[in-house]
Amino acid sequence: MNGWTGQCLRVNLTENNFQTEALPQELMEKFVGGRGLGVKILSDEIDPRVDPFSPENKLIFVSGPLVGTGAVTGASCNVVTKSALSGTIACAKMRGHFGAELKFSGFDMIILEGKAESPVILSIMDDKIKLQPALEYWGRTTSDTEDLFKKGLTDKWAGRETYLVSIGPAGEKLIPLANIINDGFLSVGGAGIGAVMGSKNLKAIAVKGSHSLTVADGSRFVQVINTLTNKLNSAPMTSQSMSAWGSAFFVGLCYQKGILPWNNFQTASFRESKVVGTGALENAFALRSRGCFACPIACIKKTDADNPLFKGKGMAPTYLAIGALGLNCGITDLSIIGLANMICGEMGLDPIATGGTMATAMELVEKGIASRDELKLDLGFGRGEEMLQALNLMATKKGHAKRIGQGGKALADEYGQPKSFMGVKGMPMAPFDPRGIQGMGLHFATSNYGPHHLYAYTFIDEVLNVHEHLDPWTPEGKPELVKRYQDTTAIMDSLGLCNWPLMGLKFKNFVPMVNSCLGTSYNADDLLGFGERIWNQERLFNMKAGFDHTYDTLPERCLKEPIADGPAEGQVSKLDEMLNDYYHLRGWNEKGEPHPDTLKALEL
Amino acid sequence: MPKIKIDHRKCTGCRHCEIACSLNHVEGVANPRRARIRVYHEGTTYFPTIAGPFVDAACTSKHNLVIGGETYDMCLVCRASCPEKPFFVEAETGFPLKCDFCGIPPSPSCVRWCNTGALELIED
Repeated sequence: MNGWTGQCLRVNLTENNFQTEALPQELMEKFVGGRGLGVKILSDEIDPRVDPFSPENKLIFVSGPLVGTGAVTGASCNVVTKSALSGTIACAKMRGHFGAELKFSGFDMIILEGKAESPVILSIMDDKIKLQPALEYWGRTTSDTEDLFKKGLTDKWAGRETYLVSIGPAGEKLIPLANIINDGFLSVGGAGIGAVMGSKNLKAIAVKGSHSLTVADGSRFVQVINTLTNKLNSAPMTSQSMSAWGSAFFVGLCYQKGILPWNNFQTASFRESKVVGTGALENAFALRSRGCFACPIACIKKTDADNPLFKGKGMAPTYLAIGALGLNCGITDLSIIGLANMICGEMGLDPIATGGTMATAMELVEKGIASRDELKLDLGFGRGEEMLQALNLMATKKGHAKRIGQGGKALADEYGQPKSFMGVKGMPMAPFDPRGIQGMGLHFATSNYGPHHLYAYTFIDEVLNVHEHLDPWTPEGKPELVKRYQDTTAIMDSLGLCNWPLMGLKFKNFVPMVNSCLGTSYNADDLLGFGERIWNQERLFNMKAGFDHTYDTLPERCLKEPIADGPAEGQVSKLDEMLNDYYHLRGWNEKGEPHPDTLKALEL
Repeated sequence: MPKIKIDHRKCTGCRHCEIACSLNHVEGVANPRRARIRVYHEGTTYFPTIAGPFVDAACTSKHNLVIGGETYDMCLVCRASCPEKPFFVEAETGFPLKCDFCGIPPSPSCVRWCNTGALELIED
């Protein structure tokens, strides 16, 4: 099999055993792999209404077919489960080297079932698979866990080839905001997954292996990668901006467009984007680029080892961290934002979900709805030190911060202020104001994974204008744009590719790479068809889990209150104008349910 | 004579060079363990290392490496296909591996795929 290893490991944590299975061929032909395969298997094997924390919920780690073959940016390992934060299906994208190493260890997929009696680590080291007790790891931060595991290996060189994915104290304590961390990278869209892993008493998974992956047409594949790398090198976004600062350069762009949320999306009045812009970031962090497996862009930025605040630990904040943990909480001090991001990485919290929740808590306190005494925390917009304190308390479920740890929606509901929660389907919004960028607003409302921009990156055409120049304020043409990007992202995740290359390449540029690697003869439309099938499969899961069309909405603030100031002043989300067109385009009825004909055409 | 110059400050640790080497030596096979270049990391620094022959003399003249105030073990960046290290040995045969400047000249395949400039072909 080309690209694939063809094997799947099924681990039953309750019974403490595991077995190797062949990958189901007919599912791979319909769902490609990665996210698609994970979503299909989860839909088939669990009841969508199951409690995310119950042993019946499953956790699936699955690498796409292109991962590890050297395909440009082929590094993504998807983690599929039912989210503990939103209750919808969840699919995190893990970057770094874990996904590739999983393939080299001989497996495409790990399915985890049940619940271990006491903490365990699953280790797959050179074909020796075991579940080892992990009591001494319980309570440790993610980087500590990695260090301890690698030091415990008898061969002193083995640690250099071992990659781990682990949860921090937040996941162990079942904080719904918890994420999973591999190799110091926070996974994308992983809010709610860390807690599921914690509920299974699984602290970490370690992989190392020396299996080979085969490519169908080796010489053609090498040629295509040469071309793609050259193209990425000549595109300004991927070769300069992303390589130099990572996504942090969006701060300036979003500021210019007036979509940089400030104080829990209450205004866009932030005037000093230079304070947290790229220049300031460079000065504060002495950036060092880190690449995920086979990635020529290397957008991940680490701090230099001699930076006294961070000592080489943790990542320099990305746009998400600066936006969610910083500006949306009224904080502009980069060292506080960096530390908050580091706490998230070490404790295993998701920065978007955590930042959004903090902002809700701050608004409740500032409006006098939740008293400072009650929370025993002096929270408020712009109070950085207090936020750091709250993060640490929250991750260890100590004191009154545990109320905040239940997530922004639960917190806002507890105080009878659902308006203060800026999120969709229980998931806080990524730091882009959907009022000033209509396409992303439509995606936030309809996304199967909650309002996360990296499941349909319309930003590329609405703000960056890489392929098309679209006006971000008009709703015209946005349903088509959103559908196209949602399908593109679904198929790219399933293949194991990152989204960032779309900032320099068109989707069709990847098709020769896919075909020469897998030995197939797909065209771009075939692949997008897979994406559509995957998106519908996820929609069906969510519908069964109880998410009907009433959940396809945006927070009231985005629909009714115009942006108060800044370049996008006066804009509100025109969701109503777009939603029906979007449903129609997808072949769904006015209640957002796929027509039987649509499902038949998609073979679902 | 051409040489491959390594600049560890530019290396991002993406390991694309390892796969480039592997795909070039065994057509259609991607496996970092078959590559004649490996990237090791220590802290935040990455060290691409190109496979070379093993000679006892290298070990006797071994000394610690100091880069930017940090001390590193010389074995980490040593390019020898040596019995002490599990790298640069062909798994099936046990033959030592050695860089042969593979790929389409002038640039070896790893240099061609190295996007950050950490690997560079220079004339001596």
